Amino acid sequence: MSAIRFDAVTKRFGETVAVDALDLEIEKGEFFSLLGPSGCGKTTTLRMVAGFEQPSGGHIYLDGEPVEAVPPYKRNVNTVFQSYALFEHLSVEDNVAFGLKRRRVASDEIRSRVAEALELVELHGREKSRPRELSGGQKQRVALARALVNRPAVLLLDEPLGALDLKLRKQMQVELKGIQREVGITFLYVTHDQEEALAMSDRIAVMEDGEVKQCGTPEEVYEQPSGAFVAGFIGISNLLAGVVQDGGVRLASGATCVADLPDDCGQGSEVHLSVRPEKIWLDELEDGMISLDGTIIERVYVGTTTQVIVELGPGMRVTALEQNTARAHSDDRWQIGDRVRLGWHPEHARVLR
Amino acid sequence: MSTIESRPPAPTPATVAADAGRARGRPPKGFDRPRFLKLFMGVFFLFLFAPIVLVVLFSFNSSRSLQDFQGFSTRWYETFFDSESLRDSLIASLQIALITMVIATILGTLLAYGLVRARTRVSGGLNMLMLVPLVTPEIVAGASALLLFTQVKLELSLTTIILAHITFSISYVTVVVRARLAQLSREVEDASMDLGATRLQTFRLITLPALWPAVLAAGLLVFALSFDDFVLSFFTTGESPQPLPVRIWTQIRFGVRPTINAIGTFMLVISILSIGLALLLPRLFGRRESGLKVLLGREGA
Repeated sequence: MSAIRFDAVTKRFGETVAVDALDLEIEKGEFFSLLGPSGCGKTTTLRMVAGFEQPSGGHIYLDGEPVEAVPPYKRNVNTVFQSYALFEHLSVEDNVAFGLKRRRVASDEIRSRVAEALELVELHGREKSRPRELSGGQKQRVALARALVNRPAVLLLDEPLGALDLKLRKQMQVELKGIQREVGITFLYVTHDQEEALAMSDRIAVMEDGEVKQCGTPEEVYEQPSGAFVAGFIGISNLLAGVVQDGGVRLASGATCVADLPDDCGQGSEVHLSVRPEKIWLDELEDGMISLDGTIIERVYVGTTTQVIVELGPGMRVTALEQNTARAHSDDRWQIGDRVRLGWHPEHARVLR
Repeated sequence: MSTIESRPPAPTPATVAADAGRARGRPPKGFDRPRFLKLFMGVFFLFLFAPIVLVVLFSFNSSRSLQDFQGFSTRWYETFFDSESLRDSLIASLQIALITMVIATILGTLLAYGLVRARTRVSGGLNMLMLVPLVTPEIVAGASALLLFTQVKLELSLTTIILAHITFSISYVTVVVRARLAQLSREVEDASMDLGATRLQTFRLITLPALWPAVLAAGLLVFALSFDDFVLSFFTTGESPQPLPVRIWTQIRFGVRPTINAIGTFMLVISILSIGLALLLPRLFGRRESGLKVLLGREGA
């Protein structure tokens, strides 16, 4: 039985539809991410699971039980908020013990479970501190301990790393994933950061305008995006406009590329060809690759890689990523204005409607 | 204005260089802060505090004179406390202020909670409406309260004063508490319910402790306002007992007696105490911010 099941869940705020007929099943023990730009309905979805919002239509099932009639304080889920939402007037210890005390757990057990939870997030020794004395990362850990200590069936996380700086965020991603593996609780994670979602999730649902555009493993949504939105939102993607012609795609520049066509793309239908920058080769192409000519118009050095932007025709630009490994020195190889031949293996291009 | 004319001439490049050399030793003074401002400030404080100091001083005068200080005595305080009618007035005023404080603080806090947390389109308008009592001339408030009480045939008494004071004070409480509440993220209350606390438990365990300094400060402010209020009390008071400020006014009509000084000093002390408590108590509760900051809505998040 799935941990959470959404059955045609809709949420309207007045005229606006925040969540539109959402169907999803989240398995037990899964690290599941809702990924999308702000306003796509991901936080509203989370708040409906927590019980802060009531669906306008459809049903949510936790462990197979419908939860519409259950108030937030009786649901077996806990939330980690973006703003941490710590209780400023209570110590770290009392913050973490808050949920257990409400459930009238025996005080001996509260003490040991609080200690255990603080141990898990590596905050032992800060029991008596007030939230305002902690750094952002430490506050985040308290918020996590405060939720996990209750051993909920599902942990809901609403952009919990959003307020941290980049380095700490990367570190917390790894730790969070480790903690999830250790406690084995189902995590429902909301984020607008595609890298974060890719790094941590077992599965990702990409949302736009209240709808799930694609749901799959990180590799699936990255390598096989279902549409232009997903391809553009996750990672960098080259989207080239064209029309279907003779089992391939004829680009606006005139070149025709061989590609796997989806079943519903007939001759002459307008499509986009999506190719990831790291899948594009420059110059030394192999047999069987699509091959196009263009002019280098920009070269951006970003450390481990160099972004090379190539113009294929008026308004048609392609970004290629060259690894700056010990063997390759793209700086020496290309100058702005050089004519260059680029290409990719046909299986790395996706035809999107 | 002579001060503007007497300013030094605009600096030429040469004088700028010379000034820069001097400035390293001591910052140029009196250029952007004209000296007359200090004088102005001094006069301001003199006018503000001199009468008060005189009242306090002459409340300890041993003679009836309001001009010559002839020796220290507490006889006017004795007259004050010996007079049964004045004592009754003092007790009445304290009663009014206490009851007003408690009821206005409770109602004002609840109102602030509703205004901030209720998801309603009218709350913007309500917020404006709530500010009306703060800008209404008190004489209008007093006259309209009197009109209302006579219309509904409510006999003027302590009750009517208290009713008028509460109505008037709720806005103050709401303004102060609302500022604090607006800083309390809604997510904090969500978190409490998420962790198993009911709505009521959340208010008691989370919201109220966070609001406590503001509620306390607002309450004591209301106490001070109510305790020395004259206009509203004058319109809504019954025959007896009259609140102290009204009582003093009645007495003054028959000539100023030094007892007034003693009463005035006594009231001053009570007002200062309540305001002082409003400022200090939040600190005693281990909050970093003082009540002053809470009142002015300038505290850190």
